[in-house]
Amino acid sequence: MRIETLVPTVARVEEIRQETPDIRSLRLVFEDEDFKSDFAFKPGQFCLISVLGVGEAVFCIASPPQWEDFIEVSVKEVGKVTSAIHDLEIGAKVGFRGPYGNWFPFEENFGRSIVFVGGGIGLAPLRPLIWQTLSKRDRFRDVYLIYGARSVADLVYKDDLKEWSSRDDIRFTKTVDPGGEDETWDGEVGLVPQILEKVSPPSDSVLITCGPPIMIKFVLLSANKLGFRPGDVITTLEMKMKCGVGTCGRCNIGNKYVCRHGPVFTLEEMEKLPNEF
Amino acid sequence: METHYVSEADFIKLLSWLENRGDLYVASREDDQVSIKPFGEVGEFTYPGVRAYQPLKPLFFSLLEEVAEYPTEEEALREIKPFSILGAASCDIRAIEALDHVFLEGQFKDPFYEERRRKSLIIGFDCTEPLETCFCVIMGNNPYPEKNFDLNLSKIEGGYVVEVGSEKGKEVVEANKEIFKPATENHLSQRDAIRSSVKATVEKQSKEFKPSGAWREILAKAFDDSAWARNVETCVECAACLFICPTCQCFLLYDERAGDRYKRLRMWDACAYKNFAKVAGGANPRPHLVERFRHRYYHKLDYFPKNYGFEACTGCGRCIVACPGKIDMRKVLKEVCKS
Repeated sequence: MRIETLVPTVARVEEIRQETPDIRSLRLVFEDEDFKSDFAFKPGQFCLISVLGVGEAVFCIASPPQWEDFIEVSVKEVGKVTSAIHDLEIGAKVGFRGPYGNWFPFEENFGRSIVFVGGGIGLAPLRPLIWQTLSKRDRFRDVYLIYGARSVADLVYKDDLKEWSSRDDIRFTKTVDPGGEDETWDGEVGLVPQILEKVSPPSDSVLITCGPPIMIKFVLLSANKLGFRPGDVITTLEMKMKCGVGTCGRCNIGNKYVCRHGPVFTLEEMEKLPNEF
Repeated sequence: METHYVSEADFIKLLSWLENRGDLYVASREDDQVSIKPFGEVGEFTYPGVRAYQPLKPLFFSLLEEVAEYPTEEEALREIKPFSILGAASCDIRAIEALDHVFLEGQFKDPFYEERRRKSLIIGFDCTEPLETCFCVIMGNNPYPEKNFDLNLSKIEGGYVVEVGSEKGKEVVEANKEIFKPATENHLSQRDAIRSSVKATVEKQSKEFKPSGAWREILAKAFDDSAWARNVETCVECAACLFICPTCQCFLLYDERAGDRYKRLRMWDACAYKNFAKVAGGANPRPHLVERFRHRYYHKLDYFPKNYGFEACTGCGRCIVACPGKIDMRKVLKEVCKS
């Protein structure tokens, strides 16, 4: 007997991209053909990646479901597991568990304008939803993206950013924190919440945000200032997780387990929880 | 519920039947302390009178166990044998009910826990000698089990009133028909009198701690109460209160290399530890001890009831006994109630 849910399946590292000095994206392909063909997820869901014998950590799935042959995760080097992931080379095997958790609303927002607000590596969970939204672009009204990082070097998914800049069906504003610009920079200079207020998208849109905790905090305040309804402001929380299925207790905030009831929450739902995120 | 009477002499026959059924653990009294032990170590059953010092959870949720081996197609076969617990107090039966919700509800069922629950036979008993730290009555519980047991024993003159609480319990009665006699009015009134008197004792010692309303409603207004900071002063972050708690079930997972394979192990953990929920990037939802201290109270009395409809504190009082900082949950809550 074993706990199937806690057993990883094997995935092979097919491609590695250095996004920033400390962030790498990995393209993973599942080894098990049955697992691969049954695998389905929705933007917003997360997974656990393990380096054999080192440990497991939580990552959001950073590629959209329509890229069928692989998934991508973006990993910032901060601790033991993420350092081990950074040491991996193409062809290496990792453990994969998932998908877990809830997801961003999608069909529910047909007919509305969507505002994506990302900061740093916080673009990772938004990225699959942005691509999914663009794949059904005619179902939505205006699509905004405000994305920023500390400096030009810290911007992730540079190819995606280039494509989004060149498209006229997404209103993309990029920014870097003051002092983070270089001589080639053609975007805004300012903190993400300030740029959000400057862009001032219509408050009947759905606002979806992720970034460093401090940025999310101020984006939520700006959204409030701009008149967004708390039920239309959505974020995704990151907590430490071990099991991913609502039993180990680690991601518990109030009566919610972020892994099971989240990670996607509306501001309205978050307002009912203790302020521990 | 179906009730029977078994004399003390006949009860000995049931013990050998239980031993044949599988492993048998009994709550056994030694001097002033009751502990859960394999029957083989004690060889006899004396009515425990009060809960054992240790909770029952290790029998269902091991302190440390291998939960998977990978990569391999083979399943590490581990046989979980049938086992019986003779002497589960009301608070401990309530705790199993809480663990059932966590491990058996929703899309994920813990197969280890499920198998142990399936193979267990739980024989409860009415408390007759509550400890001064017992406070089940203010946690919506009584010092005698009313549900979620297979059989329950109530000590009366010369024997026991045996209540049947499940199909499994019924099977025990069927298999041992000769020792189960009809319970008379007199037996039942003896039982009820003892129950009332024990309950009155616990109520009396809990009177000063009785909440003015539902715990959830009290805690809803108490998140920023100064009582948390006042009471955490003597806490040394040892987490004894959490490990000894019959309903605490937080765990960690880690992998260990075994040749060309990896073993995934699960071990008890505790939310009082500073790094329990800290992420590698540095963020920590509860960086201060007082927040983690408070989290325990909220988890038991607010968050869990919101999800499952009853308190995850059973009033067993083990955390009071275990605390080296002399923190008494009842007194903390009393202060919170006051303000």
